[in-house]
This record gives sequence, C-alpha cells and structure tokens, in this order.
Amino acid sequence: MIRVLAVARNTVREVVRERIVLVLAIFGAALVAASQVLSPLAMGEGKKVVTDFGLAGSSLLATLLAVFLGSSLLHKELDRRTIYAVMAKPIRRAEFLVGKFLGLWTTTGFLLAGMTLTVLAVLTVVHGETPWILFGSLLLTVMELGIVTAFVIFFSSFTTPGLTAFFTVSVIVTGNFAEQILYFGGHGDSPVLAGMTNALYWIVPHFATFNARGMVTHGIAVPPERIAFAVTYSLLYMGALLTVAGAIFERKDFR
Amino acid sequence: MTQIRARVAALAPFLVAVALLAGGDLLDAVGKARFQSGGADELLYYPSGLMVRQAALGYETAAADVAWLRGIQYYGEHRLTDQKFDLIGHVMDIVADLDPAFIQPYIFGGFVLAQEMKQPERGLLLLERGRVANPENWDLVFEAGFLHYVCRHDYATASRYFTWASRLPGHPEYAERFAAFASQKAGNRGMAILLWKRVLATGNKYMQEVARRELKRLGEEEQR
Repeated sequence: MIRVLAVARNTVREVVRERIVLVLAIFGAALVAASQVLSPLAMGEGKKVVTDFGLAGSSLLATLLAVFLGSSLLHKELDRRTIYAVMAKPIRRAEFLVGKFLGLWTTTGFLLAGMTLTVLAVLTVVHGETPWILFGSLLLTVMELGIVTAFVIFFSSFTTPGLTAFFTVSVIVTGNFAEQILYFGGHGDSPVLAGMTNALYWIVPHFATFNARGMVTHGIAVPPERIAFAVTYSLLYMGALLTVAGAIFERKDFR
Repeated sequence: MTQIRARVAALAPFLVAVALLAGGDLLDAVGKARFQSGGADELLYYPSGLMVRQAALGYETAAADVAWLRGIQYYGEHRLTDQKFDLIGHVMDIVADLDPAFIQPYIFGGFVLAQEMKQPERGLLLLERGRVANPENWDLVFEAGFLHYVCRHDYATASRYFTWASRLPGHPEYAERFAAFASQKAGNRGMAILLWKRVLATGNKYMQEVARRELKRLGEEEQR
C-alpha cells in the first residue's frame, strides 16, 4: 500500500505540474461571467442556469482532463524510460498501475471539488443561496470520474495515448447510451441483435447511475442509499478494470 | 501441472473482473428500480425531444437551459418584429423533454400560446404536460386556472383549478383567495385585474409587459 501511495503521490505531482490549477481559475472566471450575462436573460431562472452550467461544465472539464492527461501518463514513463528505474524497485507492475490510477483520480477529483465549490461560491454571492445538496451530486460525479480514470489506465496499459483517449471517449458515449442500447436491442426482431445489445449493456458502465445534476438543481437531495449504491457499483467496476489492466500490464513487454 | 496452474493464474484476474462486474451490474439493476423514474418508453413518447436528450450525453438539464434561453430569445425577437411565435410551443416541448421538472417553460410557453397566439387549448395542453410530470406543483395548476379565467372565460373551470392549486403543497396565500373569489365573482373585471397584477410579481419581464398592457386595457374598459 505504501508503494502504491508513493506512486500516487508522484502522479499527483506530475499532473499538477501540467498547470491544471489554471483550469480552475478559467472555470471560475467563466462561471462568474456566465452568471452575469445569462442570469438576466433567463427570465428569473438565473440560479438554475448557473447551477446547471456550473455542474455540467465542471463534470465535463474534469472528465476531459482525466482522459487527455491520463492517456499519456503511462506512455510518458515508457517513452522517457523512467519506468525501468521504478521497476528496479520492489514494486509490482500492478501496484504501479494502481498508484497511477489513484494519483490521477485524486487530482481530477480535487479539481472537480474545487469547481463545485466555485459554483457554490457564485450561487452564494450572486443569488444569496448556498445549496449544500450539490455535494451529493459531486460525490456521484467523483465516482463516475473514477470509472473514467480506470478506463484511461486500462486502455493505456496496452495501447497508444491517442487510441486510449479515443477508446475512453467511446466508452463515455456508449455508457451514456446504455439504457437506450438495451431498449432498442430488446425491441428489434433479431434475437441475435438482442443478445448482443444485452451483452453490451452489461459490459459498459451505466453512467446514468451517477447523474444527479438535474435532481440537485431542482432542490432535491440525493438519497444516501442511492449514493451508497453508486459508490459500491463504481468501486466494483473500477476493481474489475484495474484487475484486468494489472494483468495485462504484468505481461507487457517494455522494449 | 505447472502449465495448468499458469493458465489458471492467467485466467484468475479475468474471472475476478467478471465477478466484480456482475456484482456491480446486479447492484445497479436493483438500484435502478428504486431510483430512476421514467425510462426509454417514456422518451419514445416524445420523439422530437428524444434525439436532443440522447445527444446531451447526461447533460440534459444544461441542454434544457440552452433551449430555454433560445426560446426566450426567439420570443423576444418576434415580439419586436412580426408578433408570430409559431415555434414557441415546439421549443418549450423540447425544454420539457430535456428537463421535465423545469416549471417556467410550461408556464411561459402556456402563457404565450394562450394569450399571445390566442390558442388557449395548446397552452393548457402544455401546462397539463407539466402537471403530469410535476403532480405536486401548485404553480402549474394555478396557471391553468388563470388561463381558463382570462383567455377562455371559463370561470367555473378556473375556480376548480384555483381550488385545486390551493390544496397543493407550497401554495401562496393568494391561491386560496382566488379560489374563493373565482366562484363568487365569476366574470368580474376586478378579479381579472387581481389576476393580472399577480403576473406583475413574476420574474419574467415579457409576461410583466403583457400584464401591464392587459391592466391598461381593463382600466380603460372600466372608465368607459
């Protein structure tokens, strides 16, 4: 565990070096500007617009950062040959991979939390309300981000950064269509297609499980039971992905 | 023997992964029945909004805001030019597809359709759609009563809606007052003035402008 955390700590430093704090500053400035511009146009719905755009923007930015920063993380280690120095130490490859995952997830998770706090601050200052229930949605989005990060690590364990980003974005899109895939497959004439779509449904992550943005925007708190379900689901899913990624990485030829 | 052991060892992570995935899926299936309202069947009922909703990739409420802002812009543009708002119902339908709990589009869309386009039936239909999606919302029921009163001059139905609104949670005190007035003063101009004055208190400047115009008209009628 100490070895994993050491890798995670280094990964956090490496990602932070990419000046991602700038993203937070830009996001904050954009949100304040948007709230000033859009609130008067929204005909009394300014608070809703700021909340929606704030939550959607923070989730989208954190996801994109996880995909694009994460897809080159492992590749850089191989490219610069720093991985040989790490592997010379008493650490298993799978541990190294989990460390990378934890480092990336922690960084993007904190960034997401920072952006959510910015949304809260803007709502408090501009609209005079502090909807603490946004933290329920934040927690679910952090868990969703964990699955996305696990996919990034999984794909980068066997393919190039470009393909890692492409495959992960494809998974994000498919995961958001999961319910529709199941529905349309089940309502067709072909039992083969129905079987295939059913299988695809059970494999892809069900991202709708983590989407409580609409709920909190309308003032409804996310029930703790739902949070518990989503957290457990995402931990199981991440576990599955990292197990396979670790197995692949153990067999990877670094030459 | 060593070969078999190696194969089992190689397969083990995948079996663990399948077990974890199955556990997650099972949990999700149980959770879905509890937490997710409305499914793909409901979406198919509104084919025009279905594509937009799917393309939103989980950001439906933000997409609804974009559609709402576009709808307001559309209304504002046509209000200054040809006074034709043919697409307002369609835009508000899309907003409702994307975010069924967003109340203002039903109210504003219903108001424009009934008052500005002189199509109260369409306006009431939009409000009814909102009411079905938000059965506990007093505002939508009250607004339906308002349209019945000022647009359709159906005072008995208006009275029923006001009474209904006054029984829903979170209703303001004036809902009860209107419920009482509507049955006693059916067709009364004073009642219409009070109803229009209520619109002045909304945060929608376009609705406020129409209310001012109507109040002016009612005032002139009273003087004659």
